[in-house]
Amino acid sequence: MTIRRVLIFAPILLIVVLLQSYFWVPTYEQQTRGNPARLAEYIAGSIGDASLLNPILTADSASSNIQDFVFEGLIDRDEQLRFRGRLAKSWEVFEEAFFYVNPSASIPGLGKADPQTLAAFVKDAQKKNHATDPGLKNSLKRITEISVLPPSTFSVTRPFKDPNTDTQETIEIRVAAPARIKLVLNGVDPDLFQNLSHLLGKNYFESFHGKDYLSSPSQHGKEKLPAYAEELLPATEHNPILLFHLRPGVRFHDGHTVEADDVKFTYEAIMNPKNLSPRISDYEPVKTVQVVDPLTVKIVYKRLYSPAIGTWGMGILPQHLLNSKALEKEALGLGKDLKTFSMRQSTFNRRPIGSGPFKFREWKSDQYITLDRFDDYWEGPPNYQRYVFRIIPDLLTQEMEFYAGTIDSYGVQPHQVKRLEKDPKFQSFAGTAFGYTYIGYNMRRKPFDDPRVRRALGMAIDVDKIIQYVLYGQGEQITGPFVKQTDYYNHHIQPLPYDPKGALKLLAAAGWQRNKDGWLEKNGRRFKFTLITNSGNDLRKAILAIAQNAWKQIGIDVRTDLLEWSVFIQERVNKADFDALILGWQMGIEPDLYQIWHSSQTHPYQLNFVNFKNQEADDLIIKIRQEYTHDRQVEYSHRLHEIIAKEQPYTFLYVGKWTAVLDKRIVIKDVDDAGNIRYEKIKPTQTGNYAFYFNKWIKLPKAPNFMDEG
Amino acid sequence: MNLNETTVTKDFHVEAPLTPKRTRWEEFWLLFGQNRLAILGLLIFILFFCCAITGLFLTSGSKPIFDPSLVRLEEKLRPPFSKPNLDLLEPDQVPTLNFYLMGTDDLGRDVFARMLQGAWVSLTVGFVAVGISVLIGIFMGGIAGYFGQHYLKIDHILLTLLLVSGTGLIILDVIRFGAALLLLCLAYIVYAVLTRHRSKKKASPSWGAMFHINAVSVDTLIMRIVDIMLCFPSFFLILTVVAILPASIYNIMIVIGLTSWMGTTRFVRAEFLSLREQDFVAAAKALGIGNFRIIFRHMMPNAVAPVLVSATIGIASAILTEAGLSFLGFGVPPPHATWGNILSNGKNFIFDAPWLTFIPGITILIVVLSFNLFGEGLRDVLNPKLRERH
Amino acid sequence: MVSFIGRSFVQKIITLFFVSIVSFLIIHLAPGKPSQVDPMNPKFTPEMVERFSKEFHLDKPLYVQYVYFYQDLFTGKTASWKDNQSVLKKIWERFLNSLPLFIVGTLITWTLSFPVGIRSAIFREGVYDRTATFLSYLLISIPGFFFAYVLIIFVVTRFHVPVIGMETFGIGDASLPYILMDRIWHMLLPSVLGATGGIAVLSRYVRSQMLEVEGQDYIRTARAKGLPPEQVHYKHALRNALLPFVTMFGLILPGLIGGSVIIESIFSWPGMGRMAYEAILARDYPVILTVNFVSAVLVLAGTFISDLLYLIVDPRIRL
Repeated sequence: MTIRRVLIFAPILLIVVLLQSYFWVPTYEQQTRGNPARLAEYIAGSIGDASLLNPILTADSASSNIQDFVFEGLIDRDEQLRFRGRLAKSWEVFEEAFFYVNPSASIPGLGKADPQTLAAFVKDAQKKNHATDPGLKNSLKRITEISVLPPSTFSVTRPFKDPNTDTQETIEIRVAAPARIKLVLNGVDPDLFQNLSHLLGKNYFESFHGKDYLSSPSQHGKEKLPAYAEELLPATEHNPILLFHLRPGVRFHDGHTVEADDVKFTYEAIMNPKNLSPRISDYEPVKTVQVVDPLTVKIVYKRLYSPAIGTWGMGILPQHLLNSKALEKEALGLGKDLKTFSMRQSTFNRRPIGSGPFKFREWKSDQYITLDRFDDYWEGPPNYQRYVFRIIPDLLTQEMEFYAGTIDSYGVQPHQVKRLEKDPKFQSFAGTAFGYTYIGYNMRRKPFDDPRVRRALGMAIDVDKIIQYVLYGQGEQITGPFVKQTDYYNHHIQPLPYDPKGALKLLAAAGWQRNKDGWLEKNGRRFKFTLITNSGNDLRKAILAIAQNAWKQIGIDVRTDLLEWSVFIQERVNKADFDALILGWQMGIEPDLYQIWHSSQTHPYQLNFVNFKNQEADDLIIKIRQEYTHDRQVEYSHRLHEIIAKEQPYTFLYVGKWTAVLDKRIVIKDVDDAGNIRYEKIKPTQTGNYAFYFNKWIKLPKAPNFMDEG
Repeated sequence: MNLNETTVTKDFHVEAPLTPKRTRWEEFWLLFGQNRLAILGLLIFILFFCCAITGLFLTSGSKPIFDPSLVRLEEKLRPPFSKPNLDLLEPDQVPTLNFYLMGTDDLGRDVFARMLQGAWVSLTVGFVAVGISVLIGIFMGGIAGYFGQHYLKIDHILLTLLLVSGTGLIILDVIRFGAALLLLCLAYIVYAVLTRHRSKKKASPSWGAMFHINAVSVDTLIMRIVDIMLCFPSFFLILTVVAILPASIYNIMIVIGLTSWMGTTRFVRAEFLSLREQDFVAAAKALGIGNFRIIFRHMMPNAVAPVLVSATIGIASAILTEAGLSFLGFGVPPPHATWGNILSNGKNFIFDAPWLTFIPGITILIVVLSFNLFGEGLRDVLNPKLRERH
Repeated sequence: MVSFIGRSFVQKIITLFFVSIVSFLIIHLAPGKPSQVDPMNPKFTPEMVERFSKEFHLDKPLYVQYVYFYQDLFTGKTASWKDNQSVLKKIWERFLNSLPLFIVGTLITWTLSFPVGIRSAIFREGVYDRTATFLSYLLISIPGFFFAYVLIIFVVTRFHVPVIGMETFGIGDASLPYILMDRIWHMLLPSVLGATGGIAVLSRYVRSQMLEVEGQDYIRTARAKGLPPEQVHYKHALRNALLPFVTMFGLILPGLIGGSVIIESIFSWPGMGRMAYEAILARDYPVILTVNFVSAVLVLAGTFISDLLYLIVDPRIRL
């Protein structure tokens, strides 16, 4: 019967065809042995795909991973976390400071003076160098140039909304600005005007009232004048300046040289509201970006803002491919509407061109992104010929692919590190990361407004055990919000002890007593709240269970809830609708805590959602932002750290570690000037970054023996 | 034999109807008993049910006998049957059985306790979800099958549309317009009630007749709704809804229920269509018995067989769906343990602690299998067509 | 015939319209709004959230958004919120990835289920039948991802070959047969896993269809007149039992887009299901809605085709 035979042979044939394919697939060993090209290829596994490969448009971790290879910033951080020049060969930080001549104020030893005399007076004081105040002496020493700006008149218009008639109108404000003194300093001096007031009289700056020089033809305008005085005629003004000298001869991947225009263009692209750049707030304090010559760019800031330098690690975009003319051409080519077409729609984001060590090759969504090395890279090309970013959404299958040899590294979990570190085939690394995990309390709600309660809650959790058993030792306890490996972190602060009994004592002091069922009670009400976190993070889920259990042990009735990320953020965090939550912050190295800890940031949709308000902390946060001297920043940060640790708005849990497992055959290959090749074992830098020398990595056919391995 | 015959002849004149030798139940059991796999399924099913009930009692309360949420970090990932390390534990942390029957998970929680708790939760998810879908299915199918020929008139449809859009607009903060629509509806209802008496006397004006045209039959309407629901890929729909709604055990049950009633509706409708034509229904109608009584008292028991089968298999697939959702991170949120989330948590440790994957995985397999086999047995028994001809 | 086609076409269009409304409402009435930028980035301001929602018309009333969306969809302009790529292009790309998996899976299902089902029906209640029943129920009772992991771990630790993804990475410039076979190998596990449920259900269905037909009088007649049993089973019975399966060709069409979210995530297969899943996570509404719409179109087209096939194949039906 043919039908019967067909019915039986068809499936057998199919299965045989499918199964025999096994014999064609290379095993772990065959992949490298029979195929030397594989050695010059680095395949990294990742859970998620990149979204857009344009550094100004996206900030997610997968995208920035690739962007770091393709694009290059003006500067970055070296092994010690100090700034290091990349596209910029060197840079200078100084400031221009301005103050208006105050004709009504009387200067000690001079009386009322016209601008020229005043300038001469300051110059004189600088020359004679007999100021008694050391601060003043210092400030005067820094001044390199004093000039007088003549009085000017101009007028501006501002929008105005009439509260009575609900109509929009504009008001005109006429400004008759008095003469202004411009000081150029050889550094940044936040205390300049405070010190100068020793010379010019205590009230010299305070008694200058901007509104006296403003006038408006309309009635509404007149009422509004005081409000605009500070903006239009500030008595004093700091304009910190960053002057970058670009490295000559650096090229984009398409051969175009990198010039100051590109830097200016990148800044403008970020500020362009059409591009919806998530980085816009970093660059808001910038006043102007000026191209001095093709290799020099001058960035002037509106006010003291020390985190500014770090923002120039941002990848520089090629102007010639993305300026309005290029975009217009692209829109025409694609037949898109010119008005709505922005950089976001450009195909550049799918095949980027930068000036980094690797150039873009191919991107298959949710499969892989491949990069080829850029042979003209200014620092010399990387050793690897190709970098492949492979997307595997499941952690366990990532591990399987690692075993099968088709990825070189993946997001290895602490328990996997523990298992793999014993394997002679692999080498493993760990280094302290920049992000920390915490439990935050909503201080708007009782009983979290009481620092004793927050402290007690923290004391009931055994963080050491969490680190030891949940993280397998791949974490460190922290006490405050600064990055632990920087000197902003105050190492003198002791972490909260694990002490449930002490916690109960503290709670008793706050009025919470255990009732006969063992639950804590105050005025007949049980201590009961809900702890939430987002779903999809196994560590946070584990902490959720641990915290719930730990607090139950001291008699607190805790509910837990896992919420999907966008619901968690938008419905609970942004609206401050929670009791306590588990979250993590990814920290920048800059000690700028304004957005998370300043009391002005407690409104809905802002990041101080725990409602932390402390006057001294606010002052310190502002001071740190304005201070350009490292030592003083450190001093302020230590104090701020102390305050936060005392208040315990968060229970700071731990900072995790970057963990990685690599094949032992991957080593650092160095070629010295004489052409001698030297292999070195990969070691993490002091700050924990093992991939710092990635450009020098290479995979060898056979694992070399190193002396220090014993 | 002789004796028997005499009794028969003796009772021959008695007017009592002849009863079948075996009752329906006896016959059912006889047939069912022949299917050994189905019996096995039923046994496991009963065992599972008992476990779930005892599990509920043993793991709930403020001081449960088996505490599924008790964290003992020192004792993490202990294999099954291992003894606890008594030196490290507080007295109240020692497991009830003095050893870990099924080992401990990555936080040192007793897997046995969690499995017990999970049995109840998985059972509830399965039963409630299927309960919802069966109720909707029977209701919709019953209406479609019984009232199928009734036609909805255009004015009814318009009225419903107005009502729905009015409420919708109010929900969407377009209050004025929405309220106007609702008022319009109210006015029409009043008008309709008033004209009802009059219309008996004289025909309504010609322009109004347009509104009384038969637009669509109830049957068509319901079957179109079924078609619409079938257009959604079901797991994808469940995933979408579960992902965007706040995670809770109730949402998952409701969503699974709301997306799986279409099959039942079709069965019930088909059964009703054939039952409606049968004599006993005609007799009931002739006796003046109310529609709903006919539906629920007389027709439903005859239509219940395929529903029962699909419900049994539905429970199995609901448990599997829950496990799949757990795997994607949208399952029942903690502190509830379900087999699905024990399994999906455990898979991360498959090399370090294989029991965390295999215990829940195989348990789910066995229970789902037992439901399926039981359902299959039921189908065989209840479907006379497939019975072997002797 | 023509009137039947016309009527059912209109009906399908109306159904499609309601599907579009329902799916739109489900997504837009749910809590939580889409956002392109990680809201936990400290450098993210509420003004930007607002700007984003304006950009995507999220500040407009729902019916306006509905019109905007379907206008874009029909003019082919819909773009993903996540990466500004054209949604239709994305779906097409993914569809091409899912297609081989779907074809191999369907082939396995159909070629395997028929012999298994027919044999069970012939040897009814025998050991073979019982084993097949048990195995097929076993297959649909295993939680898919559990089975997948067990298989993957078995293959990788035992044979040391890669199984994840669509191809072996870094295979370099291997010759064509190697690359081809490598691709087939990577297809093996996911398509077998995807087919397990199908095999179980379909073989059971084949069995019950065969049983039903075998009980018919003409089969008895055939047997009674002394035809060899093989001919009775494979010629007389099978032919009639096959009838309902012809219509099932139409019903497998939606499987093209359904794909399995779980299998595709585990095997990091860049198919439709995974794209849809990731779109749900990112709240990429245009992608979710388009996938939904396309799959509804496929379901409707599938039923339409199966109706038509039935009409053509079964001589008893004349409309």
